[in-house]
Amino acid sequence: MFEFFNQPEVIKIVVTVGSMTLFFVGLFGLLTQKHLIKIFMSVAIMETALFLLFIGLIYKQSALAPILTDNQQGFINMNDPVPQAMILTAIVIGMAVLALGVSFAIEYYKLTGKTDIDEITSLRN
Amino acid sequence: MNLKRDISTSTFSGFALSASLIITFLNVLLNNIPVDIKRVGDELLKLNGSEGVANAVTTVVVYFRGFDTLGEIAVLFIASLGIGLMLDSNIRCNLKAESNFMLKTASQLLFPIIILFGIYVMVYGHLSPGGGFQGGVIIASGVLLLLISHKEFEVPHSVITLIETFAGISYVLIGLIGLVVLDKFLGNFLPNNISDMGLLLSGGIIPIIYIIVGIKVGSEMSMITQNLIKRSDDV
Repeated sequence: MFEFFNQPEVIKIVVTVGSMTLFFVGLFGLLTQKHLIKIFMSVAIMETALFLLFIGLIYKQSALAPILTDNQQGFINMNDPVPQAMILTAIVIGMAVLALGVSFAIEYYKLTGKTDIDEITSLRN
Repeated sequence: MNLKRDISTSTFSGFALSASLIITFLNVLLNNIPVDIKRVGDELLKLNGSEGVANAVTTVVVYFRGFDTLGEIAVLFIASLGIGLMLDSNIRCNLKAESNFMLKTASQLLFPIIILFGIYVMVYGHLSPGGGFQGGVIIASGVLLLLISHKEFEVPHSVITLIETFAGISYVLIGLIGLVVLDKFLGNFLPNNISDMGLLLSGGIIPIIYIIVGIKVGSEMSMITQNLIKRSDDV
């Protein structure tokens, strides 16, 4: 029954549609939510969708993880290491930037007591 | 009874805008699914054997894209600096709730194991899955456990500053030594024989740089965690 999902084309379509759906959930939250922390959460969800897309698109069922072990002869028939390396650093950087944004939100709340973006009008006049 | 539910204009327009964007993205992505194309990664995998490191992802992060990793460490440092500037205050306290006996005992038991596992992941980053970024984050999670279980615990700021400065300077210094010796920034000037592949001491500067990255990420993440979890009394 599940052999159908093991075809490379089907895996890629499932990964693309799934991660783009997750991206859509984050984008919807980013556009409609008013609370600052919820907006940062939506950005984090969109980030996660992109990580899943990058890692899922390079996945080949026949290929191995790009690490040489005892019973392999050289770096052949391996998955692409470049997206993995890029996503590895992107996760850490994304977390740090998210923490920076949250700290801005916390400090703004401490100063003014507001978290709703509609009420943030200090720079308007 | 009113069966018509109110849908606000912003919700509807947000839904419509993101749905149209998603349909466009999906259209582009599904029409261009990569199947057996020639990639940069294949060439890098071929080059990978020359550096004597078993983990290809580590070689890409630290050696082929080593300069980018230096920039990413700088981004992490700037984020940590910004959080320290924003949330730093003199009046500090931990979480207001008192942690219970079980959490305290379990944290004393688990903290050394978490730190040891973080160091293992860091040191064996060139042989097995793992590396500096992951090991650093594991160490920061151990610090988070101590912060939520012991109210009086505080990460020593001066020590963290020293460690962080040491790690950042030695990354740049190793790169500059490579520039002097091999005419290439971050050149691999230490012995990196292919026959040593799989040993702990293999790969030249690559494991050393990944350990440095791990020290820097661990200390910065610990400071970020402490700055976010500690707060002044008035909020």
